Amino acid sequence: MAQRHPREGWQAARLQAERITGRHLSRREMLRIMGGSALALPSVSAILAACSNPRDTSTGGFKVATPDNPVTLPKVGKSIADGLQPEKGATLQIYNWDAYMWKPVIQEFCDKYDCDYEWTHFNNMEEAIAKIQTGQLKFDVFFPTYDQLGKLVSAGYLMPLNKSYIPNLEANVWDMFKNPFYDQGAQYSVPYTVYTTGIAYRRDTISDHEIRNNPNPRAMLWDPQYSGKVGVYDSERDTIAFALQKLGINDVNTENPDDITKAKDALLEMIDAVNVRATINGAYLKLPQGEYVLHESWSGDIVAGWGYVNHYTEQEFEALGYWFPADRSGPADNDLITVGASAQNPVLAHKFLDWMLDFKVAMDNYSWNGYQPPQKRADVNALTTTEGRYSKISNWAPPIDYVPPWMPDAVVRESDLQQSQFRIHELSPKGDQLWADAWREFKAGA
Amino acid sequence: MPEAAIQETEPKRRHRRRADRALLREGGAWLPRWFWPAFAAPAIIWLLVFFVVPFYTVIAIAFGTIDRFRNPLPVWEPWFWTTQYVRDLWGNIFGADAFLQPTFVRTLLYVVVASAICLVVGYPVAYYAARHAGKYRILLLILLISPFWISYLMRMLAWVNLLATDGYVNDVLLKLHLVGQPTAWLEGKSITVVLGLVYGYIPYMILPLFGFLDRIDTSLLEAGKDLGASPARTFWRVTLPLSKPAILAGLVIVALPMFGDYYTNDLLSGSPKTNMIGNLINDSVFSPGQGPLGAVLVLVLMVMLLIPMGYYVRSTTRSQETR
Repeated sequence: MAQRHPREGWQAARLQAERITGRHLSRREMLRIMGGSALALPSVSAILAACSNPRDTSTGGFKVATPDNPVTLPKVGKSIADGLQPEKGATLQIYNWDAYMWKPVIQEFCDKYDCDYEWTHFNNMEEAIAKIQTGQLKFDVFFPTYDQLGKLVSAGYLMPLNKSYIPNLEANVWDMFKNPFYDQGAQYSVPYTVYTTGIAYRRDTISDHEIRNNPNPRAMLWDPQYSGKVGVYDSERDTIAFALQKLGINDVNTENPDDITKAKDALLEMIDAVNVRATINGAYLKLPQGEYVLHESWSGDIVAGWGYVNHYTEQEFEALGYWFPADRSGPADNDLITVGASAQNPVLAHKFLDWMLDFKVAMDNYSWNGYQPPQKRADVNALTTTEGRYSKISNWAPPIDYVPPWMPDAVVRESDLQQSQFRIHELSPKGDQLWADAWREFKAGA
Repeated sequence: MPEAAIQETEPKRRHRRRADRALLREGGAWLPRWFWPAFAAPAIIWLLVFFVVPFYTVIAIAFGTIDRFRNPLPVWEPWFWTTQYVRDLWGNIFGADAFLQPTFVRTLLYVVVASAICLVVGYPVAYYAARHAGKYRILLLILLISPFWISYLMRMLAWVNLLATDGYVNDVLLKLHLVGQPTAWLEGKSITVVLGLVYGYIPYMILPLFGFLDRIDTSLLEAGKDLGASPARTFWRVTLPLSKPAILAGLVIVALPMFGDYYTNDLLSGSPKTNMIGNLINDSVFSPGQGPLGAVLVLVLMVMLLIPMGYYVRSTTRSQETR
């Protein structure tokens, strides 16, 4: 699935860049760019991995998971026994998106369990899996997207969880994640964050009233009056789904060629109407900096957007807005944490999963990360009135709540993820080809 | 050369070669046949390992397949190759729905314009540095090379800040009353991408030109003047024709990487309207299942680049022959 990930593409040279430019760039900006250095790597790794079996073209013999066809993953590999002690003096190997976790929460875990940690980054799922395929990467915990879960399991890369080590899953997390459609019984995964895909906008240009009362707010991204100030994600699945919904086609996984053609035409129209740009950092970084007025946006991106404004003032914070349909008819998704089959510290890894599902830890992480944890105890109605830990220690910035009160649409609710038609899931190979071709045509700027 | 000498040349040369070898043996310094070729071995091995093997890998991916994770899976044995991706891409470029054509045309246009600007801007600089900078020429050369101390990425990021609506470029333009209101350079403009390419690659144009202009025999220029040509005419009739190989070399050196460039566009524009072939390749690499198409694009680009490369090789060979 060519769906880009919220945390795709950043950092690496940020600090260096900041030193050079002398201004706050972003904790996440650079990576799309830095992708170049990583570019050669996945292919080489894929090659190495492929050497042994050059004609492994099977689709893995698993079925595509959709909310209407939930999947119970096969038991591949052994889980750990009950009641083991966490490994002492170990180095926990974390394999995660860059800048998708707040370091203090990892450090506190290590303080508690007397361990070190090593955080290996990846920039997109393809790269992540290519590295795993080389067999050289040893990881204890890994943050995949759910569309890859079945394949990762059938390839034997993940360890079945022993949930006796993860009581917080039962105790703290939204009930739906005890039995998610992509992993019935949550045998291999626990949820990390949840998010919706809507529109980020500059409230100093577009009022809340204007966008909320617009009969089709998505169509505002086609409005020539915002020409040059409109962005969409450089992400095939998200952005074509966005165009489909703009046209009133609410099946965000459609494989109907006519629908896909219509969406593609709409996107091409968008190029002419507003000279749209396809970005990965437009929503959380460039819109807060004023370069965009409207941008397709994951809720977590704009919630974290206050960290990227030019000046940390109340006024600039209040310029950021998020729209998601009042009837919640839009894509909602979640990310995962898993344990590696070859984990050197499997007990510690289980403890880490449990740690990340702890209410306080999850909320602290949220205060920095912007991506909401599916915590039962988090009163979603209170998120817009409660200040998070990161804001509390950020004495250079005015205080801000987990979700700013003027963007209540950015709060994700369990019911958002239960609308099966709005979960972007894997497509059949044929459908995938249709989407990919449409996307390539858009990107070619014909 | 006298006629007799011409007749003698061939047999004599052969004799001498044999005599050389004999001499080496007799002198106790017998050298095996592989001795001198061995000097080239490191470079040959280097090329084999770091060019031929990766290149074959690209071919194996282009004619290969994808794995269960939809990552590219190279097929090493040519008899198992599939041409599916080549045919797909062919259709995208020449088929009924040739949506990639504009990108190819655009890339060509950007590169031609950017290379031309590099030449027009770079030539006078190189000329000045080589001929008139006097004691400052080394300093000037260092200054020209100094941007290389900073990575291309960083330099482009710097431009992102400079070109911002409230950036220094707009400040200057506004102060000079060249524009009435700030120009939105970064909102997907072709000119920004082209100028970005020029900025990024112009040192590659200046350096070979400098090297060549610096070596032009001044007696030739003096001869031109002695024969009554004005400085302008001397330049036109002597310097410029002499620097043709350097101009060609400079053009080839800047144009080749420009064809594959994608950073510049990604950073300075991001609009599909300004996407180049390099962006298509980059997108393919990062899209599941599209890896082989990216590899085919790489091959297509290489074939395209063989044309200017071939022209360059041919014209430099010729100019050497005529010398």
